Amino acid sequence: MDLFKKTLNPVAALAIIAVLDIFLFLVVGAWTVGGGETMMTGLIAKFFMGSAIDRIPFWSVAFPPDPYYWKIYISLGMVFGAFVGAVFSKEFCWRMPHRLTEWVMITIGGLLMGIGIRLAFVCNVSTFFGLTPEMNLGGYLAVSGILAGTWVGTLIYKKNLEG
Amino acid sequence: MTPVAECLSAFIFGTTVGLLVQRSRYCNVAALRDAMLFKTYRNTKAMLVAMMIMTLGFTAFITIGAGKPMQFDVGLNTFIGLFLFGLGMVLAGACTVSTWVKAGEGNIGAIWALLFTFIGMFLFSLVWSFDFWPPAPQTMTGTPNLAGLQFGFANAATLQSSTGIPAIVFGALQTLVLFGIYRAILKRERAEAPVPEPQAASIEASACDAWADSPAEPAVQGALARAEASQPA
Repeated sequence: MDLFKKTLNPVAALAIIAVLDIFLFLVVGAWTVGGGETMMTGLIAKFFMGSAIDRIPFWSVAFPPDPYYWKIYISLGMVFGAFVGAVFSKEFCWRMPHRLTEWVMITIGGLLMGIGIRLAFVCNVSTFFGLTPEMNLGGYLAVSGILAGTWVGTLIYKKNLEG
Repeated sequence: MTPVAECLSAFIFGTTVGLLVQRSRYCNVAALRDAMLFKTYRNTKAMLVAMMIMTLGFTAFITIGAGKPMQFDVGLNTFIGLFLFGLGMVLAGACTVSTWVKAGEGNIGAIWALLFTFIGMFLFSLVWSFDFWPPAPQTMTGTPNLAGLQFGFANAATLQSSTGIPAIVFGALQTLVLFGIYRAILKRERAEAPVPEPQAASIEASACDAWADSPAEPAVQGALARAEASQPA
């Protein structure tokens, strides 16, 4: 099957995703990832902490853990779809960062993404594929923030590349 | 719709997205970072096309009162949060989409990034439990609250109700702006003899894949040198 032999044009891929996202918008809401990740964090914390998690107001007031939160299943679907794509195109393989600097960058980057999502209530997907197409004021604030953050990150990335 | 049906719809959507993103090597980080750093726009164009389609689709349905737009107040936290996120995604070499997609391809670095995204969220939950800022969705009012650095809620639906002009008109205007940016990119690419598609895909994929087995530096540094050479003196 050609889909698994050639790299798909990203414009075509994103156009299909955009049409599907409009259907999702009608049924449950626009594509988002950060909310599902937050709920997963809550569920994992509840698994390890049990009822002690109720003593943290964020998880009892703002985001009570709920396994039937639909946004979780977008992320699980993405990992599954990517796994299927990688296996059928023979691109699946275990890869690991080799250098300490890579581990450090990924660790700091991951932490900043987690903190940023919760501070803003949105992630990059909601910013570009949810809030802004809905013409939400938050979309324009979020786009300004992510462009500024990416620019600063790019300076660090460039410095790192130049060694 | 029952919660199970909602979860099933989300899973089917997510699976399709995962497959298409994996096969197209689309990367949201590359869409922004590579436009700034390497002057390559393979992913930027895809992102703009998706935004144009979604803007028209969402605002068309908002005009007739259909669809489920996001409902929460925004404020200074929206800007600061996405600033931190933008910085983090460049350092990590992946955003929320590519971490899941690369995890599905067997990338341990992506799984590590996800783990620390969860840890970052949990740490934030502890801090929030002391200062309760930004306000929880249940306490949001939809109106500006300058003491809480909140600007309230506004979207295409509120624009329609306050002006009487159908939301799709505003959507069409936004689409025109996005199309203008898209055309400017095409013009720039034509003027600068664009990097051939397979080569651009390879540069951006390797730059995005901060955790690849094969070192990404040669391709990325080549693109960097080319971008710098094209800058006016």
